[in-house]
Amino acid sequence: MRPRSAVWLALGWVGFALLPWFAGSGTQPALAPPSPGPAGSALIDGLTNGRWWLLPVALPLLLALAVTALPGLRARQPAVLLAGGAFGLAWVAAQGFAIGLDGWAWGWLAALFGPLPLGQGGYGAGAALTALSFLFLMTNGFAGLGFMKGDRFTAGAIGLVLAAIAAFVFLPVGYVLSGAGDTGTGGFSAAALWTRLAAPDIWRLSCLTEAKSCGVVWNSVFLAVMTGIATTLLGLAFALVAVRTGFRAKKLLRVLTVLPIITPPFVISLAVILLFGRNGTVTLGLAEWFGIPVSRWIYGLPGVLLTQTLAFTPISFLVMIGVVQGIGPSLEEAAQTLRASRWVTFRTVTWPLMRPGVANAFLISFIESLADFGNPLILGGNFEVLSTKIYFAVVGAQNDPGRAAALGIILLCLCLGAFWVQRQWLGKKSYATVGGKGDNGIPSQLPRGVKIAAYATALPWAAFTFVLYGLILFGGFTENWGRNNSLTLRHYLAAFDLSWGPSGLIWSGRAWGSLFTTIEVAALSAPLTAAVGLLTAYLLVRQRFAGRGAFEFLTMLSFAIPGTVIGISYILAFNQPPIELTGTITILIICFVFRNMPVSIRAGVAAMSQIDRSLDECSLTLGAGSVQTIRRVILPLLRPAIVASLVYSFVRAITSISAVIFLVSPKYELATAYIVGRVEQGDFGLAIAYSSALIVLMSVVIALIQFAVGERRIGRRTATPVTLQEKPV
Amino acid sequence: MTSAGNWIKSAGLGLGALVALAAHPASAQGTLTVLCGVQEEWCKAIAVAFEKKTGTAVAMSRKSAGEALAQIRAESANPKTDVWWGAPGDPHLQAAEEGLTLPYESPQQADLQPWALSQHKQSQGRSVGIYAGALGFVYNVELLAKRKINAPKCWADLLRPEFKDEIQMANPNASGTAYTALATLVQVLGEDGAFDYLKKLNDNVNQYTKSGSAPSAAVARSETLVGIVFMHDGINQKINGFPVDVSAPCEGTGYEIGSVSIIKGTKNLDAAKAFYEFALSPEGQATGAETKQFQMPSNRKSATPPEAPKLEAIRLIDYNFQKYGTAEERKRLLSRWDADIKAVAK
Amino acid sequence: MSIASKAAGVEFRNVSRRYGNTAAVDDVSFTIEAGTLVTLLGPSGCGKTTTLRMIAGLEMASGGTILIGGKDVTRLPATDRNVTMVFQSYALFPHMTVADNVAYGLVVSGVRKRDAAARAAEGLELVGLGGYGQRLPSELSGGQQQRVAVARALVLEPEVLLFDEPLSNLDAKLRRKMRDDIRELQQKLGLTSVYVTHDQEEALAVSDRIIVMNKSVIAQTGTPDELYRRPKNRFVADFIGGANLLDGELVARGGGTATVALGRLTLSVPDTGLPAGEVLLAIRPNAIRLRPGTVGDGSGDGIPVTVRKATYLGSHMEYGLVSEFGDLFVVDPNVANPVPAGAAALATFTGDGIAAVAR
Repeated sequence: MRPRSAVWLALGWVGFALLPWFAGSGTQPALAPPSPGPAGSALIDGLTNGRWWLLPVALPLLLALAVTALPGLRARQPAVLLAGGAFGLAWVAAQGFAIGLDGWAWGWLAALFGPLPLGQGGYGAGAALTALSFLFLMTNGFAGLGFMKGDRFTAGAIGLVLAAIAAFVFLPVGYVLSGAGDTGTGGFSAAALWTRLAAPDIWRLSCLTEAKSCGVVWNSVFLAVMTGIATTLLGLAFALVAVRTGFRAKKLLRVLTVLPIITPPFVISLAVILLFGRNGTVTLGLAEWFGIPVSRWIYGLPGVLLTQTLAFTPISFLVMIGVVQGIGPSLEEAAQTLRASRWVTFRTVTWPLMRPGVANAFLISFIESLADFGNPLILGGNFEVLSTKIYFAVVGAQNDPGRAAALGIILLCLCLGAFWVQRQWLGKKSYATVGGKGDNGIPSQLPRGVKIAAYATALPWAAFTFVLYGLILFGGFTENWGRNNSLTLRHYLAAFDLSWGPSGLIWSGRAWGSLFTTIEVAALSAPLTAAVGLLTAYLLVRQRFAGRGAFEFLTMLSFAIPGTVIGISYILAFNQPPIELTGTITILIICFVFRNMPVSIRAGVAAMSQIDRSLDECSLTLGAGSVQTIRRVILPLLRPAIVASLVYSFVRAITSISAVIFLVSPKYELATAYIVGRVEQGDFGLAIAYSSALIVLMSVVIALIQFAVGERRIGRRTATPVTLQEKPV
Repeated sequence: MTSAGNWIKSAGLGLGALVALAAHPASAQGTLTVLCGVQEEWCKAIAVAFEKKTGTAVAMSRKSAGEALAQIRAESANPKTDVWWGAPGDPHLQAAEEGLTLPYESPQQADLQPWALSQHKQSQGRSVGIYAGALGFVYNVELLAKRKINAPKCWADLLRPEFKDEIQMANPNASGTAYTALATLVQVLGEDGAFDYLKKLNDNVNQYTKSGSAPSAAVARSETLVGIVFMHDGINQKINGFPVDVSAPCEGTGYEIGSVSIIKGTKNLDAAKAFYEFALSPEGQATGAETKQFQMPSNRKSATPPEAPKLEAIRLIDYNFQKYGTAEERKRLLSRWDADIKAVAK
Repeated sequence: MSIASKAAGVEFRNVSRRYGNTAAVDDVSFTIEAGTLVTLLGPSGCGKTTTLRMIAGLEMASGGTILIGGKDVTRLPATDRNVTMVFQSYALFPHMTVADNVAYGLVVSGVRKRDAAARAAEGLELVGLGGYGQRLPSELSGGQQQRVAVARALVLEPEVLLFDEPLSNLDAKLRRKMRDDIRELQQKLGLTSVYVTHDQEEALAVSDRIIVMNKSVIAQTGTPDELYRRPKNRFVADFIGGANLLDGELVARGGGTATVALGRLTLSVPDTGLPAGEVLLAIRPNAIRLRPGTVGDGSGDGIPVTVRKATYLGSHMEYGLVSEFGDLFVVDPNVANPVPAGAAALATFTGDGIAAVAR
């Protein structure tokens, strides 16, 4: 282990003594006058510019050097690395948070030590490298003491994932929590927190007793429950049709499951307006032919419910199809040999076995609906939900981030509560009906009544979905949807025009800038997401360590946090030193990585559970380290999961809106944020053209990846396809 | 035995590289970062014109007034933005009040309209008007004709029963436009009168939209009959071929002074000043009409687009920007609106 | 270059493995001589597999010391131990050819590709699979897959070669052949091997020594013969070879034998140092002979029984008997004159195959 620690130690010294400690100081001379920001390495800056607080960083580095270089002290190396690394990390963090741009960041420090004449900027390359070095010295120390089976890689990987989650999930969420109690003058008060949390417009129930609108929490919960019920029933109907009937066009249903993943979140809302708005095609048609008066029913709860149901039914279908397929036919055959009729079998065997799956689908839709931002924004009308309320608390005329934070806390609690209920529910029920033995039974057909009901629900809905998507694609080519349906390329030209200028090709369309940024961000974040996610999955499935359950919960936490809350928390946490990221492309990438990581983890966990553990143990006994085992054995067998998480993170980075709407900056504008802006301005043509272009682009990318990867040739061992879990925007 | 650290190492270096990326924030020397508060076409046009003229690259992002103010405030410790251009004068005054923007005296001030200078004065020199737009009504001509309803000409007209469920305005908590409307009504009718009016109006309002220009779009798409908007937004829809027209309320109406401010702590002060000057120049202001934006330009030497609503023909109130621009008054009015109006909205 | 042995001994000193409050292996000590095949035998859940995995480094001991070749490896991860293992599931990498599988350990240890390929071919030859290198594991039969797993473990010339229930996925005939092949290979190459099984017959057949484990501790260690003839406790007596367990009383010791009274009968058993008093007699099924009919008063050389069940199995008879001491199970080679079910008979005891263990 000595050489490995030596590498990290050397990197730690490089970060401390050579690289610029602060961000943005790369081009500045090392001896620049002491001012916030530009300076040289921590060593030089600490010695010459009066930032004495940087110098203690050398202490653990010196200690580690001593135990690594002096043979007499080697026996103590692990313990010293552990202690030194922990101290180094703590010091780097503490000084970074305690000393801001203009001296002490916290008032009580100034009161205690007197004012500090100079401040400091955010962490730069030097600080980052040194912190990483401390982290890995610490985990190497852990491994050296025999934890994690003495495996440095495992220890390091756990340390890395934990540190990343701490920095990019906990820290921002912590800022939100404290922001909710902000008094407006920088202080924190429990009274302010309570006032915000208990505000009547959040909780009032006046809609029940008088003609007033109810609190926004009740709106959100009511909508989420309705959406949950609707999507679950539809998902169940689809699953029954797909698995238990002779329905032929099953491939079509598969396509249906991909659609919501590649659809920008508000596109369905647009299409629904174009159909059912007061000037919508269907509305006008009904008025003309049947004399049904036009109305604005679509704006408000009905419209949001309709669009959310459209958007989330495929996810529910994905969950339900797994459950319906998993019910061993022999169980039903057993019931039938026991003289149960088809209907009795369905009622007494099939349905109870599906119940946990139904609960699962319901809760996923419930949480998705709570977190949905795009649809209520466009179709909500006067129906307010938490996610939009948070947005307008920040950007609205009231400009009250504290209120946004308080609403964020409530939303977070609702989501976590739902997750908790789900875990309680599912934790006690076993619905594993697929044993190791092959099940030779033939799935029994549905009873007639159920079958008709399933068809009658699923088929019109599927048709409706496809019509909507057809409209979206077609709408981009019409001059002015609803008023003037003549065909035109105007919107596409406005978005994606190209022209030749004196210096060559000019990307003169208005969408190019955001499109390029979007693709860049997606392309950068997808591999990172897959890597972090699969690494975490590996740790969860293959390693046993103390606190594994808690670790798993932590990694899933960012799944439960609604995007709007994440966006706010990132702005609050990463706008000033020590971690200063706003306005950069980095913050978008990091945001996507930690938003989409849970799905990548799930895909990895599912696939890895199917790979016999003895394969990697065997590799270990054959002398391969963890790294080689992962590279040579696990990764080749995980290929479908890798593809799934790559595709998913790429596509989600393109279609997400709620988290990033706060994080886009003039230089780094994203496609979805741009489109939402167009929709708000009523420029539907361009928005639809841009959205269809994105849908087509993503379909092509997915098809290409599937084509490029192809089938694995490993003989009889075939992995079952990894089902993607849709994540709310 | 093989290098167990390789993997972590590369992951770690990747993370390091990410942090290093952060070392080059958007406000890097050479690129001017501008938050833009008008229609996106105009944003793009003025950025291109400025780039052509000065050679300085502009990173322009369209943000609603609220979003922009939120961002500038959030970044105040370490601004990443240089200039805030466009958006009503109100939030600019708010930013000035909070000390988020820099005082600046332009040599072109002699050429400016008095209302533009009054914005400058009220903000203690921290912002100046670049265009003005009056509040008014936009209505769908076709639908009105079909239903044989007269176009609204006064605030009082909006309370007529035939407009039941046919009026849209933005939510003043979300939109600066709607706040201007709220403050205007308070100044025209007195505070209690205004809320009394709004309560009655509430019966006719079908939706409080989130964006100030959304009612224009809704009227254009025949989703509603009438919208309370800035008139230039309505004219913009008219030019786009929709059957709409605009009118100014007979009792008098308020207006916005679209403003420009330089962000305090900008790292590109010279370029920011150059952009500020450009925004005040006839050349810069001409980009509005070029992109079919019909606000009144603030420079007297600028050509007023013929389609622009003539401010002289509109009965403008003496809008008290000083009073209604303060955070305190704003918060009080908005809270009252939330409690009295929003709570009973459908 | 040929595959040689670097056999080393294994020593456990007070090794434990705890999961929370439960111990999978509790304070176990033993020594395995270099070049021998030692079996860890016991029922499932006895801790034998955990012990094996601790030798491999796949589990870390919670306490105690593990030495391989005299070197302390207690804290050394699997990768860094020179120990290889044949897994119950074979654990062949499904995405690699047979040759790549066998060469894997060599390649990851930095042996040049060509040398690794040559050694792999040699290893395959050794297990009789020369020429199968380019196939995928899925294209081989179970027995062939087993051989590939053995070859893969062998080519690394490990200090210790571990087998984790290697034969449990094979049919009975193949199992017998494979077990002989493994034993032959081990003796030919002089390997140190540790073999885990729950099948006592397999253990008896292949082992130099057997470590019988029960409930996380070692029940008894010894050669197959010792364990069969001189079980130290009820568990070992019953687990190895099966036994009828009857209550008796040890009445005298001397000259390497002990005298035990079973009712009016006295029997001689090997002296295992038990003190006089109540003991348990472990009587192997083949140490009982049946004589048809009741003879006299039944005193002297047998006990009267009733045949409850008689099964003809070709080479021998199996009987279930009812006696005053309880039910007895008997394997009798006398197929010429079987005693029919329901008949009375006299059961006599041959000298061998009876042991006394503590009650």
